Parts: sequence; C-alpha cells; structure tokens
Amino acid sequence: MSDNGKEQITLTIDGREVTVDKGTTVLEAARSIGIDIPYFCWHPKLDSVGACRMCLVAIEKFPKPVVSCATDVMPGMVVRTDTDEIVKARRGVLEFLLLNHPLDCPTCDKGGECDLQDNVFSNGIDTSRQTFLRNRVIDEETKTTFDDKRIGPEIIRNMNRCVTCFKCVRFNKEIAGEFDLGVYQRGSSTVIDTPPGEPIDNLYSGNVVEICPVGALTNTDWRYKVRVWKTKQADSISSYDADGQNIKLYYDHRLIHRAMSRPNDDVDEGWICNIARYGYQYINSLDRITKPLIKKEGQQVEATWDEAIKLIAKRFKEIKDKKGSVCIAGLTGGNLSTETNYLFNKFFRHNLHSNSVDYRLENIDLKDGVETAAYNCLSAAPFKIADLEKADTILIFASNFIKDHPIVNLRLRKAHRKNGARVYTANPVVTKSADISVDELIYQPDTEAAFLIALIHAVIDHKLYKNIDESKAAEIKTVLKPASLSEAAGICGIDEARITELARALAAGENLYILAGEYLKASQHRHTIANGLFNLANLLGVDDDKAAILATHANSIGADRVGLRPNLSASLAETLASKWEAELPDSSGCSTSQIFKGALGEEIDSIFIMGANPAMRYPDGPFVNAALDKLDFLVVADLFETATTAKADVVLPLAGWSEQSGSYVNLEGRYQPFSKALPSKQGVKTGIEIIRSLAEAMEAPLGLDDKTLETETKEVVDSWKREPRAVDTFYDVKQSGVIDHGDFPYRLLIGNDLHHYGYLSEHCPSLMRFTSDVYLEMSPNLAEKLKIADGDLVRVESSTGKLVLKVRFSEYFEGEVLFIPNNFSSVEVNHLVSREGGGWVKIEKLDDK
Amino acid sequence: MEKVLFKYVEEPQQYLIDNYIKNGGYQALPKVLKDFTPDELIEEVKKSGVRGRGGAGFPAGLKWSFVPKTDVKPKYLCCNADESEPGTCKDRVLMECDPHMVIEGCIIAAFAIQAHHAFIYIRGEFAYPAFRMEEAVNEAYGKGYLGKNILGSGFDLDMIVHTGGGAYICGEETALLSSLEGDRGMSRIRPPFPAIEGLYSCPTVVNNVETLASIPHIINRGVDWYRTYGTEKSAGSKIFSLSGNVNRPGNYEVELGTPLSYVINELGGGIQTGHKLKAIIPGGSSTPLLMPDQIDTPLDYEAVAEAGSMLGSGAIIVIDERACMVWVAMKLINFYQHESCGKCTPCREGTLWLKRLINRIEHGEGKKGDIELILDICENIMGRTICPLGDAAVMPTESIIKHFRDEFEYHIEHKKCKVKTDYAFE
Repeated sequence: MSDNGKEQITLTIDGREVTVDKGTTVLEAARSIGIDIPYFCWHPKLDSVGACRMCLVAIEKFPKPVVSCATDVMPGMVVRTDTDEIVKARRGVLEFLLLNHPLDCPTCDKGGECDLQDNVFSNGIDTSRQTFLRNRVIDEETKTTFDDKRIGPEIIRNMNRCVTCFKCVRFNKEIAGEFDLGVYQRGSSTVIDTPPGEPIDNLYSGNVVEICPVGALTNTDWRYKVRVWKTKQADSISSYDADGQNIKLYYDHRLIHRAMSRPNDDVDEGWICNIARYGYQYINSLDRITKPLIKKEGQQVEATWDEAIKLIAKRFKEIKDKKGSVCIAGLTGGNLSTETNYLFNKFFRHNLHSNSVDYRLENIDLKDGVETAAYNCLSAAPFKIADLEKADTILIFASNFIKDHPIVNLRLRKAHRKNGARVYTANPVVTKSADISVDELIYQPDTEAAFLIALIHAVIDHKLYKNIDESKAAEIKTVLKPASLSEAAGICGIDEARITELARALAAGENLYILAGEYLKASQHRHTIANGLFNLANLLGVDDDKAAILATHANSIGADRVGLRPNLSASLAETLASKWEAELPDSSGCSTSQIFKGALGEEIDSIFIMGANPAMRYPDGPFVNAALDKLDFLVVADLFETATTAKADVVLPLAGWSEQSGSYVNLEGRYQPFSKALPSKQGVKTGIEIIRSLAEAMEAPLGLDDKTLETETKEVVDSWKREPRAVDTFYDVKQSGVIDHGDFPYRLLIGNDLHHYGYLSEHCPSLMRFTSDVYLEMSPNLAEKLKIADGDLVRVESSTGKLVLKVRFSEYFEGEVLFIPNNFSSVEVNHLVSREGGGWVKIEKLDDK
Repeated sequence: MEKVLFKYVEEPQQYLIDNYIKNGGYQALPKVLKDFTPDELIEEVKKSGVRGRGGAGFPAGLKWSFVPKTDVKPKYLCCNADESEPGTCKDRVLMECDPHMVIEGCIIAAFAIQAHHAFIYIRGEFAYPAFRMEEAVNEAYGKGYLGKNILGSGFDLDMIVHTGGGAYICGEETALLSSLEGDRGMSRIRPPFPAIEGLYSCPTVVNNVETLASIPHIINRGVDWYRTYGTEKSAGSKIFSLSGNVNRPGNYEVELGTPLSYVINELGGGIQTGHKLKAIIPGGSSTPLLMPDQIDTPLDYEAVAEAGSMLGSGAIIVIDERACMVWVAMKLINFYQHESCGKCTPCREGTLWLKRLINRIEHGEGKKGDIELILDICENIMGRTICPLGDAAVMPTESIIKHFRDEFEYHIEHKKCKVKTDYAFE
C-alpha cells in the first residue's frame, strides 16, 4: 500500500523495474520512468480506446502485442517497448497513417507541434511504398474531397490530415457532455463532422482543436498567423470567471496569438472554456483607448498623461480640502490583479483616508452594505474544485453552472461520470446540468428562500438531520416562515413529494456538496437565502468545505482578501495597518450602492473607477447613471470606451491583465500568479503605474516597488483566516409570500451569455462569432401564448425602463422567465432592473412596421 | 445422424407456437425453471461441451459462468443474429423456420445468468427473419413464456427484437453491444470482457443463434445424449452452409467431426459436373483455404485448425478450377475494406491499401513487388487490431497468395488472367 491507500504493483519495462498504483496503464507506468511510448489516441483524461495502435508493446506471456494505453499493469509483468516486432508494428502504423496524409506540413498550422511529425521523425520513416493518389477519399461522382470545412464558428476541419484518433469526439462526449461533433461514414471514409446543419459551438469546443494531435482541426484564431516556434509563451490565468483556468499565452513582439491550456489538475485538468481560450483577444483590439481624455466644456478631448494625472491630483486635493476625504470613493472591477487592488486600497485608505472602496459592482447591494455572517461564511468556504470529483451527492442550487463556473462544471460532470455522483439541481430555469441530474427542480422566480425552507422542513419532518436532537430540530422549525413544508412548497411551485425525495437523497449522501451561485448572489433576498443554506448545511452535517456560495469574477476573492471593501475584519485591518505603518481611517466607508446613493445626495463628490463599467452593469441603470452624472469629478480607467467612461471627467487608458504580471485568487482561494505576455500597448498604463503616479503627483508616494508590492500582497492574502462554519448555529429564515408584480408579470434574469463574460468579451472577435448581439431568451411555450415567433422584435418594459430586442427561443426555459445577456454595450440591460425587486417586465410584440 | 436443429425445419408453419409445442417445444423451459438452479444449469451446459457456433467456438457454459453472480448490476443476454459472414446463412433459416427454438434457448440462457432482459440483435437486412422473430416473441408473451413470472416460477424476462444498422462489424460482440446501445457499431477494447462489462457496462452474455437453439435439446434429452454426437472436444451437431461450385448448395446439419468430403460429395452432390476442385474455404470467408488434398479433414474445431484453417461459422465455400484466385482475393478484400469500421489504423488504412493493390493486380496493372508488399502489409495488420476484422481480411489474402502465388505473378507479368475467364462467376 502506498501513501494514497492504493495497492502498489511492481513490473519491469525494458529491463527497468517500476512500482505504480494499481489501475495504472502500462503506458503511464512507462512514462513515469521516462520511457516514451508513442501514441495518438491516448489522452490522460480520456478513457482509453486503443484505436491508433501506435502504443503497442510486447508483454511476456501475451500471445501478441497489446496496446499499452488500455492495458493495466499486473504484478511481475515484463514489458518490452523496443523489440523488433514492436519497432516494425510502429513503423507499420505510421506508414498506414501517412498513406493518404497530404504532407502539407509547410502550410499546416500544427507544424512544429504535431504528434504525427514527431512520431514519424523519431521512428525514422523516410520513404513511402504508397503509389496511389494521396487522397483519402474522392467521391468519383461529386468530385468531393476532404478539404477544409468550417464546422463551427471557430473550427475548421481538414479530414485529409486526420489520423482518426477520435479524441475530439471523445472529449466532446465524455468530458463536455456535448453531442455536436460525431463520427460519420466508416472505414477509410470515416469523417469527423457535425450533425447536418448544426455547428460545433459548445462552450468547450476550443479544446477539440487543442487536443487534435495533427492539423485536422484548427481554429481561425490561430490559422495562418504565425509559426509556433516563432512565438514566446507566458503562463497566465483566465481573466474572466472565478474558476482560475490556467492558460498559456503565445505571443510575438506584436500580438498575442492564442491561448492554450496549461494543465493544472487541482483546477482545470487541462480543459479550458472558449471564453478563456479566445478571451485574450481584447488585448489586441484596435478599439482600445490609447490616450487619456479630459472633459473640457462638456467634451472629452485627448490629453497627455502628465496633464491627466496632474488634473486628478489637483481635483482630489480640492475635494479633500473642501469637504474631507470621505467624499472620494474608489471602485474596481473583477479582473484587476490582486496587486493592483492592494495598491488601490492603500491609495484610498492610506493616502486619501477614505474607506469607501468596493469591488462588488454587479449585485444588488443591501441596505447597509454589510453582508450577513451566514453569507460571508458560505462565500468564503474553503471549497476545493478537485475534491468535487469524489462527491457522491451534489446539489447545485441557484446557479446556471455552465455559465457561472465552466470549469467546476466539468468537475461536476466528472463526479457524475467517474464516481456515479447523484446530481440534483434547483434553479429558476433548466440548465445544461439537467442531462446528468437525477432530478431537476425548477422553482418559481425569486422563491429561492421558500425552496430552501421547504427543503429544511422536509429534512426536519422526516428526521433526516444529523448532529442535533429532536427538540433542537423542533426549535429550528419555529424560526422558519412559511411554517410548513406544504406552504413553502406551494410558494416555490414544486411538488412536496419531490422536495421530500430530494431531502432524503441529500441526507443519504456520504460525501455531500451543496453549491450555490449567481441567482443567489443577484437576488435581493440573498441574506435570507444564505441563512437558509447555512441552516440546511448544518442540519445535513455538510462539511465546511462542501457548502459554498461560489465567487464570480477572476479576482473578486483576491480583492476581498486584500480588503477592497468598506468594512474590514479586525484582523485584516490590523494586518494592513502594520504593513502600512499607519492608522487606518476611522470614518465609516460606503459600499457600492451607498457610494451611488451618496453621489445622488451629494455626500460623495468624486469616484475613481478602475476597470469596471457600472453604468451598464450595475442593477437599476437610471439610478446609477443619475448618480454618476451628479458627481463633481469622475475618473475612469479602462481599456475601452464604455457607458461609464462617457460620463467621466478624466478617462485613463488602462493596460489589460496580460500586459503586466500579477496574481489572481480563484474561487477556492488559490493564489495564482500570472506573467506578462506583451509590453503594454503604446500609451496605456497599468493600474499600478496609474496609482503610483497619482500618489506621486499628490506628493505622497506609496513607496512600494514591484517586488515589495508582490510580497506584501501575497503576505496579506496568506494572512487571511476564516472561522469554520459554526455547526450549532441556526439562523432565522423568513420569506414573505409571493409578491404580485402587477403589470409586469415576467421575471427577467440578466447575466452572461454562454460565450461571453463581463463587458470586455465583446471585443473578442472569436467570441462574437458565437454570439454577436443581444437577444431576449424565452421559452417557446410562453412565446406561443404571446403569439411571438423566434426572431420577432419585442418591446420589453419594466418599471424603470424599456428596450426593444429580438426574441430567441431556448430549450432551457420553462414558464414565464426571460433572459437577456448583459455583455453587449449595444443595450443597457440594467435599465430594466430595479434595486428593490430585481427585474420584472412585460413584453409586447412590435408590429412588422 | 438424426437431425436435431433441423428436425422440423421443413415442417410447414413450424414457426407458429402451437406447431412448435406440438412438436415437443417449450418442454425444456418448464423443466429448467422447476428442476434447475442457475448454477446447476450452467454446470449442465458446461458438461454438454456445446461451443459457440458464431465462429470462435468458445464453450458456451464457460462463457455463462464468467458472469459475476454477486454483481448488483442488471445482467443482459444478447442473441447475436447479425449473421453477416459471407457464405453463412444458417441462423437465418433457424429464425425463419423455427424461431421458438431460438427463443426457448434464449429464455433458458437468460435464466442461467439471471438476466431479465434479452435482446435479439438481428442483421438489418434480415427483414423477414426479424418479422418472424417479432411474431414469435409476441406469441411467447401471449402464452406466458415471456414477461413477468414465467410459468409461475417467479422468473421475469423481457425480450426485445432489435434490427441492426447494416454493418458486418456489428456481428462482433463488442461492436454489437455498442450498436445496441445506440452508438456507432465499433468494437471495444477487451478486457473488460462483456461478461463483466458489456451492454450499458453491465454483465452481458452474447451467444450465437445456433448455440442458443441447441440449448433446449441438451436440456430435453440430456448431456449424455448430446455428447454422443461429435468428438470429445467438439460435441454435438452443427449446421454447415455449403455454397460455391457444388451441385446441391444449402444448409446441412451434421455432427461435428464429419469429414469435409462427406458434406461436399454426399450432401452437396459433389463438384459441379465436369469440373475439378480447386480450393475450399471451410468456415466463412475470413478463414484460410483448404486445398483439395485436405478434403478428408474432419469438420471439428481441432481438426480444421490442425489443417491450417478455422471451422468458423461453418460456411463452406467450394471453388473449382474455373475461378481466378486473384479475382477471389479481390472480391474478399473489397468486402472487408468496405466493412472496416475505421476505428483502428491498421485495418482502416491497411485494407484500403490492400484493396487498391489487389484490384490493380486483377486489372492487369500490377507492378513487380506488389505481392511482397501485400504480404508485408498483411503482416502489419495481422494481430494489430482491436477486433478480428483486420485478421479476417488478412487471413484469406495471405492464404490465397500462399497457395496460388503463380496466378498473381501471371497477372502482373502478362497483364492478363491465367485462368480461363469466359465463365461468369457471379
């Protein structure tokens, strides 16, 4: 037995003894001691199929050569990888593969990183006995050849180069659970293709290009742009979602050319979503702001950095002298590096003496801007992505998992596929996870709390709770409102029996996870829901790391850890004070919504926004726009002109994440550094440079060089501590009944499109090929009721605003819920959402006129 | 010998359940359900020595015994009725004429492995046999031989007739299972063997139609009776599908160990009048040739193997002197190239290359060295593939070249056929 509890097996490969875990394949065992067995169809994360026959080895007592990728090690096995027979077999396979291969290496984008090139090179095939036409199949009648065919928005297939390893199809099916790529025809006519008329456009489709061992699948992103050996590589982290996908950027002296995965088994296992893959493209965009802009007589005009910084310093000083520093607030976006956030925080708290900083720019803020204990506890749960695959029961609650957490979603699927985990989902809409769910519960919009209350009732009624006695359970029941299962179930619109069934299934789980996401965070009842979730986790005895509300942006956890919010924990305040050798300001700080309210009430005079676009994305557009208009002085640093920069007195061109080194902290709390891929675009500055020069202009330099900044930030992040969830605490959970929204009967959800994230992705041409414009998503049933057809224009109206949008039907929608993506600057979706009641709208079909 | 499987094959409407029962059918099933435990049944079938009639000749009882008894997963029985080997047409007759015998065998086998679902995977082109099987299954449900609580024994079995997608490869058991699951018919790597992880990753037994049809007779008349037929290692009777240049082609049931010459000369009426035997394919198109001097080879698994070929599915194809062997090789490779599923490289690419080379020789465009190249390609395919299709393509090719190399050389050298070609073989 080894440390990991697995049985150990010793075998001999090419005369060398090796000891590996039981269940390892011969190929992996050989690799572990540096014996390279060539292969095409094997992939460490896919099931072996033994199709390419390249990895044949000779094993004593086996009558014929076997494929090492699909043969498990056995004690005392004697393996040879270098016998004459094996060498001949390998050469035979390579000769077969080259028979109809076009040998167009000079113009093939895979050149230089092609498995076929490498294997042919190392096996020394330099002649050909093939004397026929070098075409796999030409249909004599139609004269068709296997030339390039675009099979998806980004993917181009060339069957002539294909070695038919099926990795693409296997990945798509096994890992992503998608069926938009398949194998057609048979034998030597085998074709990898999509179903007729359906492109391969799933969120993970870029991976099929990456795992293609040859140039059969290429993407337009990389095609004919640069030879791989002419590029440099930088290790990076995706700047969108909070999963922390590890990527590698390929760049030359001009541009970044592509992003590939950088396998990290703790996080992504080498699979990245399209947003991470193509999302770097905004860095290359020609639309970037490259010169500071200063508003003069109502017009933004180009200025020099010197002018801009001096102006900001002057105006900040004036405001500070006139009304006190509490009148200046700072907001940062979700993809600034931890270092930038740290320095931003220091600039505000230390230099400006203002506690009004925040990074939470998208969710409805609650009254006092303070999150409750239950919410904080669950948002900071020490959840580990890699552990999810060992789960046996999982409840995904209030999260469209594939959109919110593309990589955790793959682990979820892995838990289901490899461990047989029973997955349950509870959402206001159907999600992609439905295909692996035992039961998919759809609750009425805005009844998350009622759903949890119903579930808690079911747990208590059927005595499914753990670690507490009956009297305590009865006591917990009394703090619930609605007071009974039937009443709560009635509100959320789910059958009591199904909730009871779910409660039983969860209670039976030995390794139970309850994960919540965006729908919870965007809800105006999020504290009630968090309380409910907290209680449920405690009742079912869920481990501390297994009940979590998952973070949203690439670095929202990082910003939180370095204290970029108005209220700091005592320990963090102490850490920061000691690092800065100064007292923190004792004035109370404002949260995002308090800052905007303060702006309207003239308590806040100036806001410095870095890398964020609240004018388009903060709920209640009219409110936030009015607030920004009212300000005396608005500074916005960003990469592109946005609705927010349009209102700014000074606009500063900001460098993107890849133009500097830094770090992100992902939703697990994993600190992941990334390095600089390209020098900053001419004229732009990094957030750190901007803050430094501003501090210098205000004659109070921050005194942190890059190295110290990095260490100090890391120390602050590391010093963060969290109290484990108090298992004997139960909170009150009270949900008022269903609110009648009168004239506005339909719940509008806003969020990310499947292929977009945040407001920068619309500057990535590849992602725009997947979804290029805003739409209104609705169920065909509702459309039928309203006599609306797919593609019709409709007017969507709420109490705060109205928009005209094109309708798109979605199989994922049931009932009276609508969805609009908020990734496109062409419409300001946040104008439809109020801060009190979320988005409730009515829709009306526009006449053809 | 007395006919066993073919006893009532010419009886009119034997396919109706009443006639089957009248002729002694459905007597083994009640006996099994009453007198046997699954283990005893497996033991009985093991003792009978009946071997798989699909081609590989694996002992049926042994196969059943591999199904893990403690496994909580459901178990499945698949009847392999995807009879596609060129020359083979025995299962078709059984299903058309005596379908209840097959169904009774399936029920008994399902009971032995405690499967509650049985699938009959019928070759897609077999429209009529599929219709007959479907009708027969419905009749069996009607009489209580299928469904819940069969004959009051508490044993449940549902039977589904599934028509295949039209690929030769689906007769290979793992490809059959993939196809049955709704996937492409492509063979899977073994291990795990179907008995451990088969259909839907559950323990599954796949048996040939003829194998299953033999089971009721073994139960009815006992192991000792069954073993009076055949040889020590190849027990029982077997149906041989005789085709090619004989006077009376057809399906003949004989006991294993019967000399090949008896089947060809006595049953088949000898080589077509005035012609001379040139070669025999003894076990379906994928088996190596036997030559005229081997005509006395006893038809049992061991003896045919000793003679350098395989008993296979029992399809005897007789070739006389009028056939050009290059042409025969071309016909065979064209078939296997067309049927290669495309999963593994040597078979997918190799059969295409072989096809191109052999076609070119046949058409008088062969080049010097082609024969050596063909043999080398064969070597690179043989034993390098997941399933036996690659081997099946190579074995007859190699064997034909071995015995008739001169004809290939003549084609290459003289750009024409050595054998008289005015005879239309088709």
